[in-house]
Amino acid sequence: MSNKPVNHARAAEHFLEDAPHLQFHDERLWDMRQKRDAQMHILPEWQELREEASRIKEHTLSRLPEYLEQFEENAKKNGIHVHWARDGAEHNRIVGEILKSHNARNLIKSKSMVTEECDMRPYLAKQGVTVTETDLGERIQQLDDQLPSHIVVPAVHKLTSDVAKIFAKDYHTDPNIRDPHLLAEAQRQAARPVILHADAGMTGGNFVVAETGTFVVCTNEGNADLSATVPNLHIATIGIERLVPRMADLGVFIRLLSRSALGSPITQYTTHFRGPQKGGEMHVVLVDNGRSARLGMEDFWTSLKCIRCGACMNTCPVYRRSGGLSYGAVYSGPIGAIIDPTFNERKYSTLPYASTLNGSCTNVCPVKINIHEQLYKWRRVLVQHHEMPFVKREIMHMAGKLMGQPKLYRAAIKATEVSLGTMPRFVLYNWLNPWGKHRENPHPVKQTFNDWYRKNREKAKPAAAPETKK
Amino acid sequence: MNTARDEILQALRNNRPTPENHPLPPVKTLGDLDASRERFIASLKILGGDVLEPVEGETLDQAIARRHPDAKVICSNVPEAKGTLPVEKVKTPQDAATIDVTVVRAPFGIAEMGSIFLSESQLPINSFAHLGQHIVVVLSPDAITANMHTAYQERPEFKTANYGVLMSGPSATADIQGVLIRGAQGVRSLSVWFA
Repeated sequence: MSNKPVNHARAAEHFLEDAPHLQFHDERLWDMRQKRDAQMHILPEWQELREEASRIKEHTLSRLPEYLEQFEENAKKNGIHVHWARDGAEHNRIVGEILKSHNARNLIKSKSMVTEECDMRPYLAKQGVTVTETDLGERIQQLDDQLPSHIVVPAVHKLTSDVAKIFAKDYHTDPNIRDPHLLAEAQRQAARPVILHADAGMTGGNFVVAETGTFVVCTNEGNADLSATVPNLHIATIGIERLVPRMADLGVFIRLLSRSALGSPITQYTTHFRGPQKGGEMHVVLVDNGRSARLGMEDFWTSLKCIRCGACMNTCPVYRRSGGLSYGAVYSGPIGAIIDPTFNERKYSTLPYASTLNGSCTNVCPVKINIHEQLYKWRRVLVQHHEMPFVKREIMHMAGKLMGQPKLYRAAIKATEVSLGTMPRFVLYNWLNPWGKHRENPHPVKQTFNDWYRKNREKAKPAAAPETKK
Repeated sequence: MNTARDEILQALRNNRPTPENHPLPPVKTLGDLDASRERFIASLKILGGDVLEPVEGETLDQAIARRHPDAKVICSNVPEAKGTLPVEKVKTPQDAATIDVTVVRAPFGIAEMGSIFLSESQLPINSFAHLGQHIVVVLSPDAITANMHTAYQERPEFKTANYGVLMSGPSATADIQGVLIRGAQGVRSLSVWFA
């Protein structure tokens, strides 16, 4: 895997060139944000729910070892095999071994961001296991050999015509189909035989309940329930941060999750797995993959509260206009930009800059993660660790010098005003001046504020503050 | 050599924030506590489900035939409907794949979401709820709980069932250009019959 910093800005530029895709992407995500708002306004207790969710998660993270042990004990009592994986490689090995011991060659799976983190599909392919994604969006991405561009709607950057082209190649449907219903039906028809003949099924897990040894899967298409109930072997891959202490805590989180994600009151399916089905076998793989280290980062541990709703992505003006793939990482958008650097600080050093710091992500987050503050703090950390692009570093260095010396600063401002008014365009708009990209430089003014102040105000003495009785 | 389990738990112990600063909040019951049939129906419709209302003293079998005139294989796991395929014939998870309409009873519903609960206690086999093309759910109007808080606090099934699914309307997707499609990969429709 390349360690080179992701060039988010260039990838975004590429995304911006395609007007129809850009417009749909922007509008679709904003529509999800507005539907979320409508749900929020129905519930007077919304802010209280967010506060409760945040407090429950912070509590759980502070006692995570105890709750994980409690979950393990209860799950084992119910007949679930519990495995622990320090990283992606260990996770993949565990899954490979379970499948091998059952001589399972065909695995159907529902969407799981953790298996994306672990890059599981190529590993299993080498073991001779055929992995079929059953979620429609995830399947489209699998057939197109792309990462999911959004954690809830993986193919949101594609138009119907793109999907028609992909399905034509693999499902032999008409490439000119423009009705999404026909394409969704093609997926149903293609998936059914694969599901009926699968040797094993895999799901993720949205929540894990310590008290009962239960894990909960929230989906809409029914594919996760098919994957879990048709084959007799069910493997669930779950991040260790997904715990809640009590069954009753789910009341808070289920009420927030889909409302924040899609603006629907609840996902069509909310499934509670507490043990294997009759004649079946169930495995849970608890994955660390950097999470225990993140828990020790004072400024960033609360990012582990995330319930993966994607609300921060839907609201982010940068994400909406650059697309998830431009982040070059498993997790995109604002939450991705604060999580990804913990996986690889150098490679993802550019992502915390993919933000205007407007704070909208923080405002919509159902578990109250201070995302925009963490974006800012990551910038500081990256500068301290020298993970900053050369041009940005030099400009900041010069700006620092300039602003530290008033005389020099005033001279520079005047010079800029003169040059903005007199210099030819090719001098002002080139690669050395990123402010001249995609936007016009400000119009030059005749007089700087400093000049105006000297002329009009400096000689006039400030009025004495009126005496007031204490 | 340390196992992965020990290493992960030790790292979490070393790195966690001070537990005393983050006490467990008490369980709360928030929001609207209306547990009426009317609220349940309104919520069910938002999620794409529907109510199967009897017309002039219809039996459940007659109502299903009216709602699903093309259905050939109807399999009922409730005494209120006979169906066409005896439920005893469904022995393996794959056996449910030929069913057009499955009929089950839910032990409870949730008014806030229009959700119905099903577990292995209501199903001959778990895939029964998902492989059929359509599902008809029998629900007692007295078995409706107000919202998610009351459901998780009051219903024992969440702590006893190995497999417990809340179905809120039929399967759905909006993965292609944001167009909402009811009937994705699970059931194409979900109807509730009150009895």
